[in-house]
Amino acid sequence: MVLLREGMCPGLDEDLLRRLRDAHVKTVEDLVSSDMEDLAQKSSASYKALIAIRRVLLAQHAAFPVCGADLYDEVLSSTAILSTGNPDLDTLLDSGVYTGEITELAGGPASGKTQVCLGVAAHVAQHLRQNVIFVDTTGGLSARRLRQMLQTQTSSHDEQMEALQRIAVHRAFDVFSLLDCLHRLGGGLRQVSASGGSVKALIVDSVSAVIAPLLGSRHQERMYMMSQVAITLKTMAKNFNIAALVTNHVTRSEEGKVQPGLGVSWTHIPRTRVLLERLSEASSRPSLRSATLIKSSRQPCLIQAKLDLQCWSCSEHNTSGEKNLDAANS
Amino acid sequence: MAAEVFMTSNLASSHHTQDPDPVRWWSCTGRRGRVSRGRPLSETFSSNAGRRTGKTELLYHFLCRAVLPVDAGGLQLEVLFVDTDYSLDVLRLVGILDARLGGAGSSSRPRQPAEARVRECLSRLLVAHCNSSRQLLATLHALETRLASRPGLAFILLDSASAFYWPDRGEGGASVSKQEEKLSKCSQLLGALLRDYRISVFASCHSNQRRCSHTSSSSFSHLCRPWQRLVTHRMLCSRQEVAPAGGGPRAHVFSVHCTSSSSGSKAHKSCSFRVGDGGLEFV
Repeated sequence: MVLLREGMCPGLDEDLLRRLRDAHVKTVEDLVSSDMEDLAQKSSASYKALIAIRRVLLAQHAAFPVCGADLYDEVLSSTAILSTGNPDLDTLLDSGVYTGEITELAGGPASGKTQVCLGVAAHVAQHLRQNVIFVDTTGGLSARRLRQMLQTQTSSHDEQMEALQRIAVHRAFDVFSLLDCLHRLGGGLRQVSASGGSVKALIVDSVSAVIAPLLGSRHQERMYMMSQVAITLKTMAKNFNIAALVTNHVTRSEEGKVQPGLGVSWTHIPRTRVLLERLSEASSRPSLRSATLIKSSRQPCLIQAKLDLQCWSCSEHNTSGEKNLDAANS
Repeated sequence: MAAEVFMTSNLASSHHTQDPDPVRWWSCTGRRGRVSRGRPLSETFSSNAGRRTGKTELLYHFLCRAVLPVDAGGLQLEVLFVDTDYSLDVLRLVGILDARLGGAGSSSRPRQPAEARVRECLSRLLVAHCNSSRQLLATLHALETRLASRPGLAFILLDSASAFYWPDRGEGGASVSKQEEKLSKCSQLLGALLRDYRISVFASCHSNQRRCSHTSSSSFSHLCRPWQRLVTHRMLCSRQEVAPAGGGPRAHVFSVHCTSSSSGSKAHKSCSFRVGDGGLEFV
């Protein structure tokens, strides 16, 4: 609800505002939805003036329709694909995580979600030389582990430090802190993009850790907070062209199948979802995990890949990198 | 997993034709005098593959049918796509258009004209991104003025109508009528646009709960009453995971179940489809 204020648009002065309030028109929605002739009579204002004010308010508050061809050009030039650093995961995700979208990793405890997030952060910071924002809500982030991963990618101490500096860590242990953190980051990103810095990845590990504890409170409040987190993540991903990677826990469905948590309402939020599981057979390589693609707009669903968490970005597989769609299409 | 696609249309006439595409359920009384006829389904088809959840693919299917040129099997009409949850994947849409246009022409056609034809189709599409129900309401009001000056618009696709359900409930406080106020106003406005400008509206809606059966005749909707009154056709989409009999990887089966409240009898129609590179493929 946006209240009408003096000076909001030309012609909306104190006197007119008072008369509109007497006619029970207090918000922008009220004015835009009212019948103009009726309102002109009730508030004894000029019909033409009201029409002009309505036109300006609509221009300010309505979404401007964009032509499909222009939107296509914009998407082609701004979307980038970030390699995760693991060739098998890249193949599963159709070359990597896409900017402007939310990618979700769901898995049970010790399924490797945090390790995958750390691996992606290390690869983006070191190889792609882009800034990463890592929001830690579980306390699972370890700078030592990050450094360990970077050491496998480069032996130069300076390069490792440079890469670590590109990863900005923020901690938020409840949903309000998370929203606050995301909104501040959004404000910061606007300034950063003006000065030429480039954040390309936003990792939230994990989003379910801050939303699931709201289970005891009123259902409506929980759903409202979840929708706010979803909208904030999506708008940040879209407006700043960053790839958002979030992690989620898992639950069992009525049929006993493992599925990502946070309910039906969350299933529509991520564009791509991957389910991580430990391998059931006793394996000589305990660092191996199975990744199943359960939602994607580019690949057939239910394809699988095996990920080795110990050897995330081996130097012999160093061919992946950031691709711009323009280059990929030409 | 089940989801609903709500569809409202000005079905001035429906007419049975021998139509190979079973999902031409709408008819458009075109201001250009072009009428597309729909054939109610009488058979259930089965399918054995899928990619996404089906609802947005179904909207892409309608969108492509509307914007493609007549020689590629389309209606060459203008469409407004209102995207409320950033779910429009332009690259996927271009892929579908490319596949449909490539199939319509000869295989020896060079690549460049196909790209130009895709852009020509995209020029008939308008996309508006709304991030709140307040913005959606303002956009629909602004559309009213636009329609008066741009009479070529024939369809509005809304993906999705339920995107602001929880934000509205949270901001509306304790009063249910206040929570539903904005969506009610949007529904009334859409109803007025339907009547005055004779356009068709397709909207998708995410279901609120997990449901086991997708063949319930009474469709449940958690959206407000004015919205439910506006809807004349309901298409319930569902997805099942199946293992093909001949071996191979498990895949998704999508099926659509349509009930229509405009016809006198409670006619139910169903069909199934698979999702491929060229969009929906009805089997």
